[in-house]
Amino acid sequence: MNRSDAEREIDRIRDAIDRVDEVIVRLLNQRAKYAIEIGEIKGVLGLPIYAPEREQQVLHHVEKTCEGPLDAPTMRRLFERIIDESRSVERKAATENQ
Amino acid sequence: MVIVMEKHTAESNIERVMAELITRGFDVHRSTGSDHTVLGVVGNVETIDPREFELFDGVQEVVRISEPYKLSSRTFRKEKTVVKARGVEVGGADVVVMAGPCTIESETQLFETARRVARAGARVLRGGAYKPRTSPYAFQGMGVEGLKLLRAAADESRMATVSEVMEISQIEGMLPYVDILQVGARNMQNFNLLTALGQIRKPVLLKRGMSATIQEWLLASEYILTGGNYDVILCERGIRTFETYTRNTLDISAIPVIEKLSHLPIIADPSHAVGRRDKVMPLARAIVAAGADGLLIEVHHDPQSLYPDQFARLMDELRIIVPAVGRRL
Repeated sequence: MNRSDAEREIDRIRDAIDRVDEVIVRLLNQRAKYAIEIGEIKGVLGLPIYAPEREQQVLHHVEKTCEGPLDAPTMRRLFERIIDESRSVERKAATENQ
Repeated sequence: MVIVMEKHTAESNIERVMAELITRGFDVHRSTGSDHTVLGVVGNVETIDPREFELFDGVQEVVRISEPYKLSSRTFRKEKTVVKARGVEVGGADVVVMAGPCTIESETQLFETARRVARAGARVLRGGAYKPRTSPYAFQGMGVEGLKLLRAAADESRMATVSEVMEISQIEGMLPYVDILQVGARNMQNFNLLTALGQIRKPVLLKRGMSATIQEWLLASEYILTGGNYDVILCERGIRTFETYTRNTLDISAIPVIEKLSHLPIIADPSHAVGRRDKVMPLARAIVAAGADGLLIEVHHDPQSLYPDQFARLMDELRIIVPAVGRRL
C-alpha cells in the first residue's frame, strides 16, 4: 500500500465512522425519548427519579451484551455517562408532569 | 463540586450519596474508577455545605471547584480594581499611605498631625469620629463635629479622608466629610451595615475581622459589591492567634493571597495589628515589600502610634523599598 492508497483508505474508514456516529446519535435520542416517557410517568405518580437497582441492571446488561473489542469496564464507563444524561432528561420530564 | 468516594466503598454507600444529591435537584456525573468512584455534582452547588456530604459513609473527600465569592474574585474580573477617592488612586501604581490619629480629639492635634503627615507623603488623612470601644467608659468620639474638623484639616493639607462608620444611621451624616468609609474589624460581619454601604457610591475600606478567614472576609465584601458599590478596599489588620506578646498577629501572607484571589486593592494596618510603637515600622516595611497597595498608620502619641518624626522616617525608608517591588510612592 503506497502513501496515497493509505490516505484513501483512512478517508474511507473515517467516512464509515461518521455513518456509525449518525446511527449512535439516532439511537441515543431514541433512548432519551424512552427516558422522557418514563420521566413523565414518574412525574404523574410521584416516583423517585433515581433508581439505583435499575441502573445496575442496565450496566450489567450492557456488560453482558458486550462482545469486544471494547472490554466490559470500558462499556460500563461509557454507559455511566449515558445514564447520567438520561437521569437528567427524565427529571426534567418528571418536573413538567408533576 | 466533586465527591471522591473511599477506595472500594460499598455500592450502597455510593447510592445513598447519589440519591441525596438527585433528590435535592442536582445532576450527578458518576465515574467508576478501578479503585475510587468519583461523583461530579452539577447545578447550583453554592447551596451545598460540603461538610454535609463528608459525613456520609464511604465519602473520602468533597472538593469545591468554584469559590463561593463571585464579584470579588479574579475569575469575575481579571484586571485589578483601582479605587478613586478625591484624586487618590488605591490599587494603581502608587502605594497609598493613609495616616493620622486613631481618634479626633481636638482641632490643634488634628491640623498639626495632618500637616506633618502630608509633608512626609501621606495622601489620606485618617481620624475616627465614632469609636468602637471595648469599654463603654472610654471616650466615644466627637461625632459630626469631629468629621468637620477632619475635612477642614485634610483640605488644608490637600488630602482625602478616611473615617470609621459604626452603624447605618451614621452613613448619611458622614458622606459630606468623608471620602472613604471604613468598616472596622468588629463590624466586618455586620451584614446590615455592609448592605447599606452597597447602596452608596463612595469607597469603602473593609477591615478583616480578627477571627475571620480570608474566605469570610471576601464574602463580607460581596455584601457591598452586590449592592452595586464596586469601590471596596480590603485592609488586613492582624488576626487573633495564641501569641500574646503582640496584640494581634499581622497575617502578612493575606496580602499575596488576596492579590491572587481578588481584584480588590489590599492594604494593611500595622498599628492595630502589633499594638506597640516600636514594632510598627518593621511591619510597615514588610507590608509594602509583600506587595500591598497601601498602608493605614496611626500617627499620634498613643502607645501604638508613631510620632510624626518617626512617621517621616518610615516614609523615607519606604521610598527605598517601594521601587524595588515595582511601585511608586
